[in-house]
Amino acid sequence: MHAPLVVTVVTAGLVLALAGSAASLLDRSDRIADRVLLLLAGVTEAAVAVQAAVAAAGLISGHDVRSTPTFVAYLVGDAAVLPFAFAWAWADRNRWSGAVVALGGVTVAVMTGRLVMMWQGRA
Amino acid sequence: MGEPTAPPVPSGSTPPAAPTRGAGRLLIAVYAVFAVAAVSRAGVQLATRFHEAPLAYLLSALSGVVYVVATVSLARRGAPARRVARAAVTTELAGVLVVGTLSIVAPGDFRHPTVWSLYGIGYGFVPLLLPVAGLWWLRRTATAR
Repeated sequence: MHAPLVVTVVTAGLVLALAGSAASLLDRSDRIADRVLLLLAGVTEAAVAVQAAVAAAGLISGHDVRSTPTFVAYLVGDAAVLPFAFAWAWADRNRWSGAVVALGGVTVAVMTGRLVMMWQGRA
Repeated sequence: MGEPTAPPVPSGSTPPAAPTRGAGRLLIAVYAVFAVAAVSRAGVQLATRFHEAPLAYLLSALSGVVYVVATVSLARRGAPARRVARAAVTTELAGVLVVGTLSIVAPGDFRHPTVWSLYGIGYGFVPLLLPVAGLWWLRRTATAR
């Protein structure tokens, strides 16, 4: 896996998690909070997409993982997390929407960690 | 992600208790993550190396099914869904306690990890906390009726 991309994805996911948690704890559901969360999620999702493209290119050019279907499923799943999290959180915008998005950020970070382990042949 | 005791979510204006609102949406989201994770994990285990540890992998599949049923029934309204949710979450609590204990008492049979092994240590003990939160939430939204 491309190390700087991994660091970017995990950092962005965790920053999103912090911001989402803060929005829920401070009960901020105004337009500014919405925009901050949307921006952070957008940055995270963009980094996830680039990471997926780079990893897919690596697979095509011959990098070996223990189970290619599992790895690809993780790549796709990683990219699907935040859209689902936002759809679910904003279908009923309330105090807890930030926490739902925060969960999405943590999930992206954890899944990226698993991707790295699979890439290195450790899982 | 620490979730301290939540202040009451105002729900007075909606007469039927709606477990899908407020903090319930976070709860359902956590359940959804576990449903997808457990089912995918069990699917891969059963498909590729079932013979290595039939018991552990069948338990993985069972936990996946329980999480799916819990997620769907928590997300639906009405008394029947609530009963299903209560049964699923109770099964989940029993599962994590039984499998967690067995994995300590009889580690030989549980060398291959399941979501519930060692009380969910591989998942930050969330599998142990989740059913407790689920039962608490079902109780809370029931009294708000």
